[in-house]
Parts: sequence; C-alpha cells; structure tokens
Amino acid sequence: MRKTNNVIKIKDFKVDKGLPFDQEYNFAYLDENTKKMIRRAIIKALCIPGYQVPFASREMPMPYGWGTGGVQVTASCLTKRDTLKIIDQGADDTTNAVSIRNFFKKTSNIKTTEITEKATLIQTRHRIPETPLKKKQIFVYQVPIPEPLAFLEPKVSETIKMHSLSEYGAMHVKLYEDISKNGHIETAYAYPVKTNDRYIMDPSPIPKFDNPKMNNSPAIQLFGAGREQRIYAIPPYTKVKSLDFEDYPFDPFKAEHACDICGSKNTYLDEIIVDDAGNKSFICSDTDFCNKRKNK
Amino acid sequence: MIIPLLKVTNLSKSYDNIVGCKNISMSLYPGEVLGIVGESGSGKTTLINCLSGNLEPDRGKIIFNINNKETDFLNISESEKRKFIRTDLAFVHQNPRDGLRLNVSAGGNIGEKLMSVGYRHYGNIRSLATKWMNKVEIDKSRIDDLPITFSGGMLQRLQIAKNLITSPNVIFMDEPTGGLDVSVQARVLDLIRSLVNELNLTVIIVSHDLAVIRLLADKMIVMKNGTVIESGLSDQVLEDPQQEYTQLLVSSVLHV
Repeated sequence: MRKTNNVIKIKDFKVDKGLPFDQEYNFAYLDENTKKMIRRAIIKALCIPGYQVPFASREMPMPYGWGTGGVQVTASCLTKRDTLKIIDQGADDTTNAVSIRNFFKKTSNIKTTEITEKATLIQTRHRIPETPLKKKQIFVYQVPIPEPLAFLEPKVSETIKMHSLSEYGAMHVKLYEDISKNGHIETAYAYPVKTNDRYIMDPSPIPKFDNPKMNNSPAIQLFGAGREQRIYAIPPYTKVKSLDFEDYPFDPFKAEHACDICGSKNTYLDEIIVDDAGNKSFICSDTDFCNKRKNK
Repeated sequence: MIIPLLKVTNLSKSYDNIVGCKNISMSLYPGEVLGIVGESGSGKTTLINCLSGNLEPDRGKIIFNINNKETDFLNISESEKRKFIRTDLAFVHQNPRDGLRLNVSAGGNIGEKLMSVGYRHYGNIRSLATKWMNKVEIDKSRIDDLPITFSGGMLQRLQIAKNLITSPNVIFMDEPTGGLDVSVQARVLDLIRSLVNELNLTVIIVSHDLAVIRLLADKMIVMKNGTVIESGLSDQVLEDPQQEYTQLLVSSVLHV
C-alpha cells in the first residue's frame, strides 16, 4: 500500500467516482427483512393506485427531508443488474443527488448513470425528466408530506376516513381560494391529482408542469415518505388527472423563455440570477436533457 | 296524513354514569320549527348532537323520511350516513368559528358545501355564493375577505349562509344567537325568521332563551335532567306552562 502523509490533497477526493464499495454493508444498506417489509408495502401500493400504505420506516444515515423515504424504496427495489440515476431538481450534480448516488455506490456497488434512457431505476427529488420514461423503468419520488388533505384536515384519523369515503369536495376549496385571490390557480407544485379515478394523491413537490407526464406512463412510479412512513404508487398505464374547475382548466405552466444553454422551448426552466444587477438567465432544470441537446 | 320528516323513539345517551338524555321520543313535520329549551346540562346539546350525527346514541331509533324515502339513521353504513349528513342536514354552531374555516375566504366557506356535493364550475359557485351573501345581508364586496376580519354577527350570518346554500332538509341550530349582543342578536333572529318563512325550512333550534323560542318556534319541548318534561305548541307552553319547572323558567324571564 502506498504510504500516505497526513496532508490531504484536494485531488484525492474524486467526487465523481463516489466512495469505494464497502462490503461491510448488506447490499443496498438495508437488511433483507426490512426490504421484504418495504416490498410488501410497495406491492400493496401498486394494487391500490394512489392509496397511502403505512410502512415501518427505518432511520437512515441522512436527515429527514433529504429523501429517507425515497432511499428506502430505492434500496428495496435495487438489484445487482440495475443502473441507477439520481436527480435533485432535475440535476444530476446537486448535493442531494450526489450524496445519494455515492451512498448507493458505497453500499451496493451498482452501475450509475446520468442518462435517463440508460437507467433502470431513477430516484428523484422534485422533477420528472424531460426524456419520456419507458417500460421496465422504476421511478422513485422523494415525498415530504404525502397527505394532500393535510392542510384542510389536520386529523389523520379524519383524512383516512375522507379518503376511504371519497369525500374530496373540500379539496377544491384550495383551488377556489387560488382563483379568487389571483385570478388563476396559483398552486405551482405539489399540485393534487386524482389517480385511477379514485384516490386523490399528492404528486410530491414536482412542478405542475410535470403532472401530465404521470398520466398513462409506461414506467412504475413509486412514492416514499420516510418521516411520515407512507408509500404510494402509480402502476404503469394508469390514469392520473390533475384537479381543476370546468371554467378554469388545469394549466401546466412554465416560464415563457427558451433555455439559454440548449435553446429548448418546451422544457421546464430554472430562473437564475446571474449578477448583482438582477439580470436573469433561464436554463433547463433537467441537466441530462440539456447536455444532450447542446451536444447534438 | 302528513308523514313526519323526523321521528325519534326512546333515544338515550349517557356518558358513563352521567345521563345525557333519556327516553326521548318526538317527531318533526316538514316546514316546522321545533325549539328545545332547558337549563344548562339538561341534555339539549346531547340530543341535537345525536340527531345530527355528531354523537352515537346508546339506544333508540331515529328515522328520517325525506322525499318519501325512509332513512334509519342509526342503522346505515358510515358512508351513507356521512353522505346523508352532507346533503340533507345542516348544523349551525353556537360559535361560528366551529362551523367555518377561518383561513379560507368568505366565498370559499360558502362554496365549500357546493364543492362537496359535486359543483366544479368556479363561476357558478361564485355567483351562488354572492347570492347567499346578499341573502344574509353581508356586503358582496367582502366575498374574498377572511372570516377573521368579520364581526361576531357577520360570522354567524356567514355560517348560516354556508349551511343553507345546498337547501338541506333539516337544519340544526345550537344556540345560534348565544354570545352575540342584543341588537346583533335581534338582527340574526330576524334573518333566521325571514329565511324560515321564505324557504319553508325545517329547523330544530336549541336555546335557553325563551324569547328566541317564542319568536321562531312553532312547537317546543322543555328538557330537564335529560328527559322531556313538557311539549306542545310554543305559545301554549309559554302562556300556560303545566310543569313546575316550566313555570319557573317562564317566570324567570326578565322584563325591562
């Protein structure tokens, strides 16, 4: 072994490669019994689209709010043949994405990728990739608050009843308030949807621009909320409809610009302040899509 | 023969060993206003809560007969019961803050019941809400204001509008004017009376204020210790009370 001195050199950190595989851990960190328990919850969730299945969420080596639910779902679905992609706000190179990718590299030694088409399992925070998802892909969402009725009804016992009896009228009160205050439905993210004509579901804080992508998607979509201990799912080819009013139909809003890097006009954009004078730049939030388009 | 809209037989509810109400039987006919009076703790609220589905009674029968359809209120599934409560019944709380969402605008509050029975057209909901704001004498420019900016009397009128908008078949009111000052009380009572006449509402109203009952109710029952001790036409009961307790109640009304 090479003798090292105490001075840590910057070049020793190869963030891109991640940490080396650590065989002390069970494959994908969680023990097999936990994975079995979570898989059971996932199967139940797939059988009842949009229904929130409780599960015994484990403590993960990361704080709540950083994707503990998504990570547990990913860990339970991961096989040695999988290729994993992790995105955070559409980007592969942001803190949350990098740290979760490193976590799985260290604990499971699987292939990772930034290319949406090549991935068999994608974990996301707050975005659905621009490249359409396809058959045999599993798409895992990180969910902070799984209960779409929480802001109307703080009692969980009551929201469970509202779901079971389809008492969803009050859901429109929020949209009503939006229109009366702003003249249009202001809710821009975590926009509630009805899944398979039955359960109202919070799609996690994805922009409402992404809502139509959930409808009839060929991929399996799984949602994990670690702190709230809930898993829910949308099986492939399931109807997902965003709530709206007859005279104020759902509008998947995006900024009226083209991407300043790749020029795309129909992708979701991040608004970036570039100097102290308040000048702005709009760029694709999906880094993989933007890079591919730019290099074409 | 007119079939009663609501028929109650031997209704009892106790809280452990404490009697809430005991062996109550009564009936209510369409278009009738029934007053329930009695002192604090006499079981008025327990009774009205049992009838409106807020409480599960221990024994007895509650039968609603609405549009020739009989509903055995205590023996239907929970989903049917909640649907029935949503569409056919309304409950006006003593404290309007219990019946309103304070973080939702006045229009949203009035419109909520419409949305819960399936209205999905913003324009229609809004125009109906405006119409009802007018009916309960709240300026329609306040439609987007939050209830916390409303006075006590306005809040109560807003709550009444919220409850009546879906034309429920039976309306329960628990001390609707309690906690309001006298002039505001008069205005709210006036409003309730004109709505009752105009819309031919069927109402059960609980109050300890005999003036309220005399003004609004066609019939009344007097409760004491959880039982009905006297019942009849309100004028008759108030002019010629038979029971000692009712006599005491009538004679203790202050005359200015």
